[in-house]
Amino acid sequence: MTMNTHPSLPEFEYVQPATLAEACEFLASHAVEARPFLGGTDVFVRMRDGFLTPQFLVDVKNLKGLNDLHFDPKAGLTLGAAVNMNRVIASPEVKAYYPLLAEACRSVASYPLRTRATIVGNICNASPAGDTIGACLTLDGVLHIHGINGPRQESMASFFLGPGKTTLKLGDVVTAIHFPIPPKGCVGMYLKLGRNQLSDLSIVGVTALGYPDSNCKSGYRFRLALASVAPVPLVPTQAETYLANHSITPESVHEAARLSTDACSPIDDVRGSARYRKQMARNLSAKALAEVWKKLN
Amino acid sequence: MAFHKINVTINDDLEQVVVPSNMTLMHMLRESLALTGTKNGCSAGECGACTVLLNGEPVNSCMVLAVECDGAKIVTVEGLAGKKQLDPIQEAIVQEGGVQCGFCTPGILISSHALLKRNPNPSEDEIREALVGNLCRCTGYVRIIESVKVAARMQSVTT
Amino acid sequence: MAKTDRQDIPSPIGENSPRIDAREKVTGAAIYADDIQFGNSLLHARIKRSPHPHALIKKIDTTKASALPGVKAVVTGEDFPGYIGLYLRDRYIFCRGRVRYVGDPVAGVAAISEEIAEKALELIEVEYEILEPVLDPEFGASPKAPLLHPDLGQYAVVNFIFPQAGTNISNHFKIRKGDVDSAWEKCAAIIERKYRIPQIQHVPIEPHVATAKVDETGEITLWVSSQSPFAQRNLIAESMGISQSKVRVIAPYVGGGFGSKAGVSMEALVVAIATKVKGHPVKLLLTREEEFYTAFVRQGLVAYFKMGCDENGRLLAMENKFYWDGGAYTEYGVNITRASGYSSSGPYEVPNVRTDSYCVYTNHPVTGPMRGFGMPEMHAGLEQCIDELALKIGMDAVEFRKLNCLKTGSTLVTGSKMHATGLSDCIKKTAEAINWGTKAPPSAPNKRRGKGLAIMWKAPAMPPNAGSSAWVELAEDGTVNVGVGGQELGQGVFTVMAQMAAGALGVPYESVRIATPVDTRYSPYEWQTVASRLTWSMGNAVANAAKDAKRQILDTVAEAWEETPEDLNIVNGVVISYKSEREIPLKNLVVYGLPKPGDQGWRGGPVVGRGKFMPAYVTGLDPETGQGERAVVHYTTGAQAVELEVDLDTGRIEIIKGVSTFDVGKAINPEMVKAQMEGGFVQGMSSALFEILQLKDGFVRNPSFVDYRIATSADTPRELQAYIVEVPQDDGPWGARGIGEHSMVPTIPAIANAIYDAVGVRLEGPPFTAEKVYLAMLDAGIVK
Ligand SMILES: Cc1cc2nc3c(=O)[nH]c(=O)nc-3n(C[C@H](O)[C@H](O)[C@H](O)COP(=O)(O)OP(=O)(O)OC[C@H]3O[C@@H](n4cnc5c(N)ncnc54)[C@H](O)[C@@H]3O)c2cc1C
Ligand code: FES
Ligand code: FES
Repeated sequence: MTMNTHPSLPEFEYVQPATLAEACEFLASHAVEARPFLGGTDVFVRMRDGFLTPQFLVDVKNLKGLNDLHFDPKAGLTLGAAVNMNRVIASPEVKAYYPLLAEACRSVASYPLRTRATIVGNICNASPAGDTIGACLTLDGVLHIHGINGPRQESMASFFLGPGKTTLKLGDVVTAIHFPIPPKGCVGMYLKLGRNQLSDLSIVGVTALGYPDSNCKSGYRFRLALASVAPVPLVPTQAETYLANHSITPESVHEAARLSTDACSPIDDVRGSARYRKQMARNLSAKALAEVWKKLN
Repeated sequence: MAFHKINVTINDDLEQVVVPSNMTLMHMLRESLALTGTKNGCSAGECGACTVLLNGEPVNSCMVLAVECDGAKIVTVEGLAGKKQLDPIQEAIVQEGGVQCGFCTPGILISSHALLKRNPNPSEDEIREALVGNLCRCTGYVRIIESVKVAARMQSVTT
Repeated sequence: MAKTDRQDIPSPIGENSPRIDAREKVTGAAIYADDIQFGNSLLHARIKRSPHPHALIKKIDTTKASALPGVKAVVTGEDFPGYIGLYLRDRYIFCRGRVRYVGDPVAGVAAISEEIAEKALELIEVEYEILEPVLDPEFGASPKAPLLHPDLGQYAVVNFIFPQAGTNISNHFKIRKGDVDSAWEKCAAIIERKYRIPQIQHVPIEPHVATAKVDETGEITLWVSSQSPFAQRNLIAESMGISQSKVRVIAPYVGGGFGSKAGVSMEALVVAIATKVKGHPVKLLLTREEEFYTAFVRQGLVAYFKMGCDENGRLLAMENKFYWDGGAYTEYGVNITRASGYSSSGPYEVPNVRTDSYCVYTNHPVTGPMRGFGMPEMHAGLEQCIDELALKIGMDAVEFRKLNCLKTGSTLVTGSKMHATGLSDCIKKTAEAINWGTKAPPSAPNKRRGKGLAIMWKAPAMPPNAGSSAWVELAEDGTVNVGVGGQELGQGVFTVMAQMAAGALGVPYESVRIATPVDTRYSPYEWQTVASRLTWSMGNAVANAAKDAKRQILDTVAEAWEETPEDLNIVNGVVISYKSEREIPLKNLVVYGLPKPGDQGWRGGPVVGRGKFMPAYVTGLDPETGQGERAVVHYTTGAQAVELEVDLDTGRIEIIKGVSTFDVGKAINPEMVKAQMEGGFVQGMSSALFEILQLKDGFVRNPSFVDYRIATSADTPRELQAYIVEVPQDDGPWGARGIGEHSMVPTIPAIANAIYDAVGVRLEGPPFTAEKVYLAMLDAGIVK
């Protein structure tokens, strides 16, 4: 329990850099005292609770290009870091090509909160419960990052190191996330189990994506990502491999669900017990896979 | 801590306000401008009592810095009604008994108003989803949900 | 109008008059306590709180904090030696010598900003000697437990509460009725169960807020979100040893109370601080987090039930033991123990009852009144046992209830007789509406459907002589101003009072105003806005005041017209004579009176009607047997039923339909009565499915909305029906009795019974979270 929650935000300086380079420089030269923010929906809460005590909040959302949502039928989708979740949900291109992304965004908090909350913020916050991370993982999202040494790209798959920990370095600003055109015929789904029907953080969340793939023995490739069951957003690769190599039947789906459960290392916390989380990882994986399979046919 | 001078349009009035970095939009409205219709129920983005329109879209004003609103347009519950008549959602919620203690009401009205603007004819599910971030402890929500349906009908008659 | 019509129920009684406060509330104009602007002299208070559940305070050093620029005052318990409390004075304003829960106020700071006040808190140094805490009420009641209130025997206490000095038991209420021991032999079926009901919080969306100012002469003004302006005036004055006339409480609209803003809790802190910075208003606004662990919470309960019936299903005996987790201070909570004791049979006629209801100090958050005042907690177990007993004896659960439930004239558990009641009708209506006895197929193969029903009773729990008063005053234009001291918390009481004043006086509803905000300097006395007592008690006072005003008006007109008042009436704001058929609008006489003919002077004058109500008939109960003539003023009764689905994959419960039926005596405003039933149902449902203060070693693990979940718009049932039964209350205004709290009393057991119906599992207590339901099904082998 946090006993020292502040009535409102503690003191800090608001910094609005004019350029990306300026932002990176400021962040790099202020090490621990400065922190970038977009919607602030994680940062503010953690500052109020006393977990974060930055002296400077660097507002990166108005930097050039960070609000762009760009779709190219060949190259795919680029979401500027500051594009909020409601814009993602409302985008016709997202609806048409990346419905899983919209579904994941819709599961986050409430409409007013999503006016501010961003996918990139969700990713950088690196909570194992982050609801949009599974979609970004399974859709092969790539982060565009600007650091003191200029721009670089980093794949989602290797980004998370632990709760709240990522490969981001001092001075790094994520500028966008890019998604390739999803595989033909792909079907995705996000099953989120919270305490309430909607709006809660997940006790367990399961993202599943499937598509026809002639390289696989089963003829299909399935991608899975699990939320709130491990220190980082979890990709149960063994389950994915199993399904690639076995024909898809109710039994193989159950076996894959079991394998993804085996990969989990959940904890007991206020939201749920490890025992329940394991059970739900299995049931929801099975359900998500079965539903996706149904839609693939 | 630095102070920032910002220009912000609130309910059609242009205001110039000096705000410290850590002041939220909610505090600016309530403390600096005495627009106390916007309520503080949690200061943490959870309850929705502080919901206002920021450039036309609903936000939790406790989760927005005042300094970020330089140049922005804000609408609070005080600005929802027209000069002569209430907004349909205000009319409907009075008629349907969707108000009890009234503390959630400003936020509920803003969220509902915004829903009806982006979706003039929402389904029951869409209404429930749109209001999920606006906690109400008194009404059990049934009459609020009904109010949104009634407001949608009122709007479709007038337009 | 025919003369006989005069006896009828007048308009707008029983009509759906629009809420008097709605327009203000939808335009943002309505003022709540935190909205009042105090200008630049306002100081902000923050509270230094105990980080330990139980410890002795060895030393408090405030020198550094006091020296911080911007800090205007730092106070500790040292300057405030008086105890405070409603029924049992067991609490200091700031701790003295000992802390008893995590959050106990140790010191307070007033500063020019909240931030500075916060910084000052960090500079206050407190040395503690940590003591063993009591974390379970059953253990707390045992002789092994460390004593939390060694001075319990010396605390001032009302005469119907029985603290046990030298223990942690701050009240022990007993029922000894009939011969329970020999009754068991005659039982054909017996059920014995234990339940554990967790602490929950009221969660008004408006957090507690109070601003106090003390002027040079020591007069205190308190602007506060309050259900109890008068009780606060009284208790604060008593604790500080000053005259009640020196405390003025101003209480605007309340953004939800549910009991948490009754009595005195954080308000006294800010008053104490304000005494040190005379002339400055000092504001204390609880954070949502503080709201969860330092405002009142609902008592936890460990309940043992044993009940038996004969082979025909007639209840023969009950034996109940309640261990209430009262938390650190039980000044208010002691009476919950009593209320649950004198209601411990549930709404049933049972010849043999033995009950022991203990209020136990623990090192948990302070408990206090919450909507239902012990009844939701008690009924949660009791109404499940009834289902189980019915099943065991082979009877339908509804038939079993119909057979055993209280009827007019039944003998109550306290030995007195039940007044006229429509409980049987409530059961019948509720069962019909939920299609009792039929089972619809589930909506999906992985779901199971079930139905459950539960019934309830509840009396206003209050001192025997809790009083109400009101005045009614007319303006030049004949409009009416009604003075009351009860509070608008959202329940709609101002609307109902306006309806009653209009009805009793004979004026249109639209011409009535309520004199707000409640201000103890100008408003008439009201005990507290609690116990669902206002429609009945304050309603009587308002009706009496309106009748008094009417009498004054009719006397004046009768004299002027040389008629008798009996032949006159006021209809729609006009005095009319049934005899002479003369008419005169109220506005022509209510302020200036009427001229005598020929310019020979005047008669009448400004009209102020006064009214009061205080029940005079409530008697004490024998402390050993709990038997007595009339323990309470009346019982509101009712029933609820639910239909739900359990998801076998997750354990998640969805309430498909809820039905509520209550006997409210007379619905003064039927739509608002139904709104109470709906809101109460959803709050009850929320407590059944989601809510628990997760306590570990005395710490609340989930003190925020992030992890204390309440029902949202997406959780509320798609179908919620509410029905009104009206069997009039003999001393209620037009027969009315209360409904505010009752609507969440039977919800937990109705849901529990439906879960059992759906999947055959029962849990030790709420919340029936997806996790608990799923794991229970797993352990029972229902799912794999
Ligand atoms: C009431 C409430 C409900 C919520 N419900 C959910 C929920 O249901 N599901 C869920 O997943 N989350 C939820 N959240 C958490 C939060 O809203 C999300 O994680 C959101 O996506 C964060 O986005 P943001 O833009 O607000 O991030 P910010 O708070 O601005 O930033 C988040 C983190 O990323 C860092 N960061 C931000 N921008 C950059 C950048 N450009 N480069 C590098 N680092 C950066 C920040 O320093 C910070 O550590 C909730 C939060 C609140 C307050
Ligand atoms: S006050 Fe902003 S969401 Fe509660
Ligand atoms: S009306 Fe009271 S919280 Fe909604």
